[in-house]
Amino acid sequence: MNGTLFIQACLVGLLSYLGAVDCPWMYGVVGGFYILGRPLVAGLMCGLIFGDVQAGVLCGLAVQAVFIASMHTGGTSNTEITYASYGGIGLAMATTQNPAIAVTLAIFIGQTFGLLFYNLRMAGFSYYNHKAEKACRELDKRGLIMNQIVYPQIVTFLVRAVPVWAAIYFGKVAVQRLLDVVPVTITDIITVLGGVLPALGIAMLMNMLIKKKVELIYFCFGFVMIAFAHLSTVALVFIAALIAYLIFNMSGHNGQNQDDSSKVAVDTADEYEDKDLF
Amino acid sequence: MVDEAKTKTPKRLTKKELRSIFLRYGIMTESAMSYEKMHGATWAYSYMPVGEKYYKDNPEAYKRLLTRHAVFYNTEPQTGQLVNGIVASLEEQIGMGNKEIDENVPVTVKASLMGPLAGIGDSVMQGILIPTLLSIAMGLSKGGSALGPVFYIVAYAVIATAITIIAFRSGYKLGVSAIDKLIGESAKRITNMFTVLGMIVIGGLSASTIAVTTTVKIPFGDKTKGLQEILDGFFPGLLPLILVLFTWWLISSKHYGPTKVILILTAVAAIGVLIGFL
Repeated sequence: MNGTLFIQACLVGLLSYLGAVDCPWMYGVVGGFYILGRPLVAGLMCGLIFGDVQAGVLCGLAVQAVFIASMHTGGTSNTEITYASYGGIGLAMATTQNPAIAVTLAIFIGQTFGLLFYNLRMAGFSYYNHKAEKACRELDKRGLIMNQIVYPQIVTFLVRAVPVWAAIYFGKVAVQRLLDVVPVTITDIITVLGGVLPALGIAMLMNMLIKKKVELIYFCFGFVMIAFAHLSTVALVFIAALIAYLIFNMSGHNGQNQDDSSKVAVDTADEYEDKDLF
Repeated sequence: MVDEAKTKTPKRLTKKELRSIFLRYGIMTESAMSYEKMHGATWAYSYMPVGEKYYKDNPEAYKRLLTRHAVFYNTEPQTGQLVNGIVASLEEQIGMGNKEIDENVPVTVKASLMGPLAGIGDSVMQGILIPTLLSIAMGLSKGGSALGPVFYIVAYAVIATAITIIAFRSGYKLGVSAIDKLIGESAKRITNMFTVLGMIVIGGLSASTIAVTTTVKIPFGDKTKGLQEILDGFFPGLLPLILVLFTWWLISSKHYGPTKVILILTAVAAIGVLIGFL
């Protein structure tokens, strides 16, 4: 029994619950899924837990590149990013601290156990939904809170924190043994794959944003500005914002008198700044 | 039944009650998420303050309030505060005994807005804002610096919280008239603007995150020159660009799922390494 590893695995398990899409405690998805659940942040957290922030961030960086465009739309998820982040980075930090290993473990865990647990939970929560609906019809306020929040959260905690804890606590020896026997060619392939896989996430984003093939020119423009002109991302964001704004203005002149309505929208946007409401 | 509510002088919702509705929805949105109901009865939980205020002595109306908010609902939760704001203003009117607004109006408003809002919200939040902030953060954490993740945590927490607050306030202030703004012509222009911004940033992102280089050496007389060096001379990042366009083609034209694409990319990496190209 390894006391330190036990506690480290517990902490990573807890974070994998807090960073989950259905965990409410970090101000919903704002602080949970979209902050704690991101691999880059998970890398920092695992780095703090395992006492090597630099190695943790490097692992997080590598995994984040693969999941940069991870999408979670309409409840369907193409990969379970929280299991992937904390399972993959946590296990890598417990063993080799090698970023390429973190990527491989993250993808493996996210695409297999992660998606399996996620889909089982998404199907199983219908049970609590029905009980919550019944509570609404019967004006059972306690029943509504228990079935909409308390019980589902206990289940979520169990199906997230426990497997991640077990993966790290029991998986450490197995992963280390596996790494000792894997031939060099395989680790080479894994390293190359780490550089190739970000293409998947980006391609999925492109699929969502690009409606007409000619719009690919915007994408190529961004690519060229980084690859040829070596701009920083911050600089590119400002240039992109300028181009987007020009297009916004031009589309107004082509349309009817849309300018007025957009001006109203801007004016009212200022109004919201007042502190009356809260 | 409504007459009973009228015996008391109906008042508008207080700031405290509005804040309670805002926070209940913002925090608990996905607490019991399932494929069947998604956000479902979180709405009933969120509108308990309305019930406590207006229907304390009218259990039938309270039941109807909870039951009509226990149906299927799904949208992007952060920008979705806009719908919460609109519904809060409607439920306030119903609670105050405004006969012009039928009790079904909040339900139809929710059902008609969740689709368009999810489209805009998901592409702005997950498609543009998060990848942009993450790519800036990844630039900052090159070499394992904790600055990147810390920047992302602060930046996203501030921006996303502001978005939720502004969305809720605008929804509450504009009420049903917000719908025109949301699915009208000017909304299309704004979405189009963000899409252009997103495409340019993603283009830059793919140049900085996808790492594919070739190890092939080309003989020049007695000397050899790296093929990568030659490629960099006329088109830096050519291989990553080809790779991402290939992946995009697989997804958009061939309609391959993510798992299939991961397998194809793994095969590409493996073959590339084995023949000594990558």
